[in-house]
Amino acid sequence: MHLEIKNISKAYGEVNLFNDFSIGFDEGKISCILGPSGCGKTTLLNIIGGIVAPDSGAMEGFEGKAISYIFQDPRLLPWKTVRGNIEFVLSHELTTTERKKIADRFIRLVELEDFADYYPAKLSGGMRQRVSIARAFAWPSDIILMDEPLKGLDIKLKLNLIRTFSRIWETDKRTVIFVTHDVEESLLLSNEILVLSNAPVHIVTRKQVAIPVPDRSPDLAYLAGMKNALIRALNG
Amino acid sequence: MKISFTNKHFWGIASVVSILAVWKLLSLLLGSEFLLPSPERTLLTTLGLFGEKEFLSVVGSTVLRGLGGFSISIVLGIGLGVLAGMHPHFNAFLQPILVTIRSIPVIALILLALIWFNPGSVPVFIAILTMFPFICINVIDGVKSMDSDLTEMAAFYRVGRYRIIRDLYLPGIMPFIISGASSAMGIGWRAIITGEVLSQPRYGIGTLMQGAQTFLNVDAVIAWTILAVVISFGFEKAIRWGERKLIAWK
Repeated sequence: MHLEIKNISKAYGEVNLFNDFSIGFDEGKISCILGPSGCGKTTLLNIIGGIVAPDSGAMEGFEGKAISYIFQDPRLLPWKTVRGNIEFVLSHELTTTERKKIADRFIRLVELEDFADYYPAKLSGGMRQRVSIARAFAWPSDIILMDEPLKGLDIKLKLNLIRTFSRIWETDKRTVIFVTHDVEESLLLSNEILVLSNAPVHIVTRKQVAIPVPDRSPDLAYLAGMKNALIRALNG
Repeated sequence: MKISFTNKHFWGIASVVSILAVWKLLSLLLGSEFLLPSPERTLLTTLGLFGEKEFLSVVGSTVLRGLGGFSISIVLGIGLGVLAGMHPHFNAFLQPILVTIRSIPVIALILLALIWFNPGSVPVFIAILTMFPFICINVIDGVKSMDSDLTEMAAFYRVGRYRIIRDLYLPGIMPFIISGASSAMGIGWRAIITGEVLSQPRYGIGTLMQGAQTFLNVDAVIAWTILAVVISFGFEKAIRWGERKLIAWK
């Protein structure tokens, strides 16, 4: 199965971000859109999410697909507990007990069961992002979109979150599309990396990363070699 | 017994003592219990109020008018404020109305209300017109300052409208509601007593104040005033207590 964005164009004022741009994503895989800052990665994500309409072009395979999000900022309601934040997005067609059950299952998966009744203000930045991961998986989506979900975190926290994310993902292989400008993040988390150019955007290169996500670490020689290739591609 | 006595307490008490000292000094200078009764005599009169027949009906009626006016203002203020905060057109429509209500002198409202309503309802009407704009304007500010990241998140996750208002907007604007309620209560309470003085309902603190003034019982006028201040202080405390309960997540 495949998701296709075909021949889209999108301009903001004088800036032609996308001009007859096409890109495809494998379903059930983690695809990473890697590009320089300001190249239109977030706009592309917003087009995929249906938040921004392209000026022209077509999208195939997205019909009827539900999408959940992991933002750079966890975007938690400060007045709701960890559990309450997850329950907040769950459909009210579920009973209160069902909502609580689902929330608690994903809270366990991100290893926050001791913090289920904590308010976000009492959690660390990494823990808040784990809540946001739990929320994205607790919501019955087909696609998960992530916009720089690891930005601003130190490498230890990044690895920690990547492990948490991939552990859930291994049991529930949804299509994941995430954007980043950080080469290391893309190597640690994705099955396929698509490197974008500056505007007007085109795909510079696409690379498959064969090692399973849980086995990756920043000091693997295989990844180090790819890293140099990706940095070269990024810098055009 | 151990009593914690902070610097803040000390200065608070020093302030009250100073007021009493100036009062005592003025009453000694004037040398007339009739024009300005001494603090101790007024205190006795204040305590004496509790023994008056129908004391509970008098105080109860005024407090109920306050709570009634306050509740209606809260419901109206939140309802219209949320609508105005979310819809710029409705906000543009509501703004001149709010500005007008806020600019009308309270006494003018009372004079008109005296013609339109029965004596018991006049103070409630006045309370609503003085309190509602405060709460409404605060709620509008609150909705406008909502974190757009959160409203966007709720929209992405397709959260229903009812739950967005109940779980996102209401808690988000709660600090604004509380601060609006607090200033509204301060102003509204004074307006209620002014309304009672002029409309003379059967029971009411204002009614008895006016009666005491007619018979030149200055100590009784001050005694009722002290009681009104104490009750207002109680309301303020209740609002602060509510704030701690409602904003526990901070």
